[in-house]
Amino acid sequence: MTGAKKCYAATVLAAWLITIAFFMVLSRTLDLEVFFVLSLIGLLVIAVLIDGAFSRPRYMRHIGYLIAAGVAIFAYIVAQKILEILAA
Amino acid sequence: MNHRASQIVLATAIIAALALLAGEATTPLLYTAANTSTAAHVDPATVPKQTGRDADALIPLMGDLLSQTGTLTLNIKLKDYESAERDLARYAELSGRFDRLVINLDVSGTDIGEFQRNNRENLAALAALLNDTRRLEDLQRIEIDIQDDEGQRTTVIYEGETLQQKLQGGVTTYAGRENATIQIADRYGVNTTPYRESVRNYVEITGAVEAGGEKSPPSPLGIAVAPDTGRYGDTFSIAGTYAGGSPGTPVEIYVDSRIAGNATLDENGAYTSIYRIDRIPAGLHLAYAVAGAIYSGVTPFSVRQDDTAITLTLGEGEVCTGSLMTAGGRPVTLAPVFLRVDGSTPVETRTDENGTYRASLALPAGEHAIRAEFNAAGYPLNASESPTETIVVRNEGLSPLPFIAAIAAALGSGWYLRRRNRPEEKAPAAEPEESRETEATITPPQADIAGLSPREAATVLFWALRSRLGLPDTNTPRDCARLIPAHAGFFERYEQIRYAGETPSEEELRAMKEEALGGEERAA
Amino acid sequence: MQREAWAVLLILFLAGAVVYAHATTTTEEYSRYNPGWNGTSNLPAEEIRDLADLDPSTILLILAPDRPFSPDEVGSLRAFLDAGGRLLIADEEGNANPLLADLGSSMRVRPGNLSSLNRDHVNPGLFTVSVVGNDTLFAGVETARVNRPAAVEGGEPLLETSPFTWDDADGDGRISGSEAFGTAVVCAREGNLTVLGDASLFVNAMFAENPKFIENLQPIRVDGIHSRTGTKSPIINTLVWIRTTPPAGAAIVALGVLPVAWIFGRKRDE
Repeated sequence: MTGAKKCYAATVLAAWLITIAFFMVLSRTLDLEVFFVLSLIGLLVIAVLIDGAFSRPRYMRHIGYLIAAGVAIFAYIVAQKILEILAA
Repeated sequence: MNHRASQIVLATAIIAALALLAGEATTPLLYTAANTSTAAHVDPATVPKQTGRDADALIPLMGDLLSQTGTLTLNIKLKDYESAERDLARYAELSGRFDRLVINLDVSGTDIGEFQRNNRENLAALAALLNDTRRLEDLQRIEIDIQDDEGQRTTVIYEGETLQQKLQGGVTTYAGRENATIQIADRYGVNTTPYRESVRNYVEITGAVEAGGEKSPPSPLGIAVAPDTGRYGDTFSIAGTYAGGSPGTPVEIYVDSRIAGNATLDENGAYTSIYRIDRIPAGLHLAYAVAGAIYSGVTPFSVRQDDTAITLTLGEGEVCTGSLMTAGGRPVTLAPVFLRVDGSTPVETRTDENGTYRASLALPAGEHAIRAEFNAAGYPLNASESPTETIVVRNEGLSPLPFIAAIAAALGSGWYLRRRNRPEEKAPAAEPEESRETEATITPPQADIAGLSPREAATVLFWALRSRLGLPDTNTPRDCARLIPAHAGFFERYEQIRYAGETPSEEELRAMKEEALGGEERAA
Repeated sequence: MQREAWAVLLILFLAGAVVYAHATTTTEEYSRYNPGWNGTSNLPAEEIRDLADLDPSTILLILAPDRPFSPDEVGSLRAFLDAGGRLLIADEEGNANPLLADLGSSMRVRPGNLSSLNRDHVNPGLFTVSVVGNDTLFAGVETARVNRPAAVEGGEPLLETSPFTWDDADGDGRISGSEAFGTAVVCAREGNLTVLGDASLFVNAMFAENPKFIENLQPIRVDGIHSRTGTKSPIINTLVWIRTTPPAGAAIVALGVLPVAWIFGRKRDE
């Protein structure tokens, strides 16, 4: 019952996260905000790519909530950065 | 069971990871290679650059200052007062720039600081020289005009006498600074020829002035300073009598060409005034009085150098307070104090009447080292600095704006996703209805799937299960899953097969067949 | 199953690459196997292990020496200098002073905490010095950036600091207390012997700061025995030893090939 597509999606997402972690270690800067934003972009891209037009498998049902939460935190980070720039 | 266990492990791992990340959420920058250094070297890529502290400008500026003294005194000697005025303005501007550079580079405690102090005194002395020689020349012209008027002539003579005495005193102090200044300038390779010339010019100017004037009787306006030496904060009493003066005449007291006090003649023709030593350099100074148009003679007094001590206390909200006192315990009032944060360009503040200062700094979050410095230029005091205090600035309270933005974004994306999903449900619902019309009435579950392709077999099994469960034919697989959650897995898998083009495997078909007919076997 | 096997092989390969990169590099200062900011892996220099019979047409660099020189070695260096070869000793700690005394030079390295106001960076030890004198090493260079140098006494000065330089004895980053301004010499020469008080000019991070100086140095040889360009890591040393001794390489290859050949031979027999 496990779709091959679900496996692919999870693998690609994990590979993406490892890649960005590798490059962050290489540049000697570990920033949680940057990591979060890049992983959110990866998640959004993968969600768009595996979403079928005619079906919504169970693992795609509630990804909307996860994306909404991610976008909310992203908006928080952006607003904070804007405040920092304005205060400087 | 295995599946369940792995799900539990996955869930705990996710929760643990999120908890760890949430713990660091307030300081998202976990690590940067800032200022990597060893004993032998630092990594230049990680050391921030600094601007605004150009030490290369110091030596040329010192050269400019010294050469400016030469041209200024030359113009005074040649009596070209307009050019001398321009030179003086330029000299003052250069001195201001030099002062700022010295403070920015934090070299006040070195011989550069001493050069700066000497330069300030030179500036004051040359300004006085220019004004006094010009006034003397005016007086000489006036003297010729008013040859007949005896009364006016004496006043002019007295003023001239005062000015000459001032010039004499000025020459001694100006020449007295020559050696120290030249020594410092030579150490840094600055050209001192114009400066030496300026000293010679100064002497010449004063000599010419003295030769030009005639011997005159002493002024009727007397002046005396008691005591004749003191320190910062001491009060001197400047008093004298004016023989033949009318009571009530206002008397102005001058120290080094700047007005220092007022008095009035009493019925005995005496006046007295208090003078407090404030912002004048150490050394010899000249005081004289002017009553109406009569100038008194010039009397010298000296000011001694004193040590200072400055304190610094850090309070709540990055407020720095402290006090600046002399060694004798006297407060230094209305003096500029510099607060240096992290060794960079300092912030200026001022002490009040009690010698205390208070400033609030805007500092970013983190640890900072703050030091208070007193430059003492223009004061008869030595520079001092406080010990360095460290302050840790916490992040300020969270402002509501990011939270509002986050909630708005969550609501917006939720609404968008809702809207996107609603039409999707309508579309599949329409499709099966059309396919329904082409088929005859459904026979009861006869799930005979031999010889059919896997996908067609799955379709037959779906019909079988749907009718077995008693669901109307108009229900799509998703509707069925919603209505009968016990078989949701079957319906969802069928949905993928039918609409997403997936192909079921043999085992899957067998499982689906069992599920579709399962109830029938039990029923049968 | 096929796909998973490929994925596992890929991960193993990546892990192997990471382990190799980790094992063949080090973080020791000045080491030529250190690709980080404080290593000398980018220095295009040939390493020599024997000071006898040196070619006088190249510059010999002794970089941050930490081992004493035996009288034979001093003799070889003397011969090298007399034959016209240029010797450049870069030392920040003063370990080269005994060698300088043995070579009969009057120059000495005086370690300290030189700091200057003439700088572009916040750190007072990273500042600019100006080139004085005439030397092919600094041809076309007017200023150089040094990184926590030591002062060099004696000899003919080649690199001089600005007058606003002081020895920061209390380490507070500013001139205070009994410290006084003065000019210091960072590089001096005596005939063919040049002493540079800053070994940091050769680390990877400082290459971009003084490109013309590095260019003028070519061709250059590094004394591998006494300079600190080696490493204590046994793995790297073994690899280098294998690479430099042909019999060892041949032995390793034989070790690898012989069992495979024997297995194939047995199979054919059966």
